[in-house]
Amino acid sequence: MSFEEIPHTADVKIHASAPTLEALFSETFKALMLVIYGRSRNGGMTREIRIESTDSESLLADFLSEVLFISEVEGLVFSDARIRITGFSLVAELNGEPFDPVRHSGGTEVKGISYSGLEILHDANGYMLDIIFDV
Amino acid sequence: MLEGVNQVGMHEWEVPVGYVPGMRVAGRFFLSESLAKTLEPGAVRQLANVATLPGILKNSLAMPDIHWGYGFPIGGVAAFSLEEGVISPGGVGFDINCGVRLLSTPLHVKDVSGRRDLIDELFRTVPTGVGARSSLKVSPQSLDGMMIKGAQWAVNAGYGVERDLMRCEEGGFMKAADNRSVSAKARQRGMPQGGTLGSGNHFLEIQVVREIFDPDAARAFGLSSGQVCCMIHCGSRGLGHQVCTDHLKILESATKKYHITIPDRQLACAPITSPEGKAYFGAMAASANYAWANRQMITHSARQVLSKMFRIDYEEMPLIYDVAHNVAKMEEHILDKKGVEVCVHRKGATRAFGPGSRDLPGDLTSIGQPVIIPGSMGTSSYVLRGTQTAMDMTFGSTCHGAGRIMSRTQAKKSLNGREITANLLKEGIIVRAHSESAIADEAPEVYKPSDEVVSVVHEVGISRLVARLSPLGVIKG
Repeated sequence: MSFEEIPHTADVKIHASAPTLEALFSETFKALMLVIYGRSRNGGMTREIRIESTDSESLLADFLSEVLFISEVEGLVFSDARIRITGFSLVAELNGEPFDPVRHSGGTEVKGISYSGLEILHDANGYMLDIIFDV
Repeated sequence: MLEGVNQVGMHEWEVPVGYVPGMRVAGRFFLSESLAKTLEPGAVRQLANVATLPGILKNSLAMPDIHWGYGFPIGGVAAFSLEEGVISPGGVGFDINCGVRLLSTPLHVKDVSGRRDLIDELFRTVPTGVGARSSLKVSPQSLDGMMIKGAQWAVNAGYGVERDLMRCEEGGFMKAADNRSVSAKARQRGMPQGGTLGSGNHFLEIQVVREIFDPDAARAFGLSSGQVCCMIHCGSRGLGHQVCTDHLKILESATKKYHITIPDRQLACAPITSPEGKAYFGAMAASANYAWANRQMITHSARQVLSKMFRIDYEEMPLIYDVAHNVAKMEEHILDKKGVEVCVHRKGATRAFGPGSRDLPGDLTSIGQPVIIPGSMGTSSYVLRGTQTAMDMTFGSTCHGAGRIMSRTQAKKSLNGREITANLLKEGIIVRAHSESAIADEAPEVYKPSDEVVSVVHEVGISRLVARLSPLGVIKG
């Protein structure tokens, strides 16, 4: 279970892999938070997100877009997520802490989650994807 | 050069129909031999993908700062027929009306050189970086004002002078704005961010005019050698990002509904005449207006700082011009010798209207539109003027900046923010940012040399050099 940033000239491209679809979503979510805020910790703040979509890729993009929204308007930095996926719907419990300009200024704003090249692949070893965050 | 791409003129290359399946027109881009060495195959494929969209006119185009984006390549320009064509957020981007403006001052380089206190004060005054919130209170009514009247709203609210509007593309607001197509979520994000710069490649820079190439145009624009100017580069913040996210979803269903085949999901689109296409255009225009208002509010803050520190009048700092880099607009262009209204998408490209164009203020009619090309941190920025050649070849468009050549991952690995800051200081450039990684991310080395990009557009003639400015100090997100 891991994610890494792979070279992309203009934006941030993440490669993530995990044994389950839920873990894959969770890794991608952690990558998003790390890109924007640098390191964060579980400070006891929780939020729940429910999303329904038309396919797995849209479900992921919609989930991450919702995380961007909540994080920005509520000033919260999330450290981890517990995710349940049924078909093309998802429930996520997010844990995090309030935004602190001193500790959370190590990253860059993500403007949006791109569909370009977004495809969730599945083989015997589990799930993987490449995803581009517009920064 | 990449296989399958043909040279058709000096600095001009063609991507023939058939490069990817379904192309309706050829692709065309402008690049020097040496810039071609860093051209990514992904960027050319994206240029070709745009050529598959319904109703595309003449060519799918890209400027010399072409690089790999999502949907359209960055540096991409495409015009669509209003009857048969489509509109796509992939041709505008998440940061709607990310753009740049240049403000002049009566100060000379000797007044400002080495003044760290000026850069510190600007850094304190203009909110920058991740999580930055505005100190200016924007009410729901004011937010509507920003979306409907853009920079005009800001001037009415006291953030500028009437003349500023004459020096903005579109007079500082698109009349097609429809705030009813902007979601509650987008409004919620936009409310606390009016007057904030953002992060990434956005910046506010104090610059000096180092070189004048075209004295007549420079005089008309209000630029002289040794003069201190202020450049502001930012966009529509969370409001625009949310509008793109929301409408991308709507347009994805519309793409299926109207049986449009697209090679990349990020090119989701709808006929310009469809309800979905109209809703996106209205919301995009509202976001573009928010961005113009935002740049006007930041201008106000910068003018106040300069006014207080150097005892100069607010009115002594006229705006040179303000241009959008990421936008779709309805414009009249000549096709088959007839004036036709078309929908021009510019994604990382600048409008460069030539002499005699309608949207120019009276005193610039004979010169052409000022084009502002920001350099990367530590390198030169340029002012150019629009030309008839741009009207003939590129739907009145030119490049928008230097264009990245190094990825952020590589930049972070190989460059050190503290070292870069020290090196820039040796050259007399003061940098302020919230983090060292933000500096490494945007170091001069990660961009194509801006000199070479502008010399290509100058030689091709799609805009002409007027002046070169170099940085004295910069604040970043």
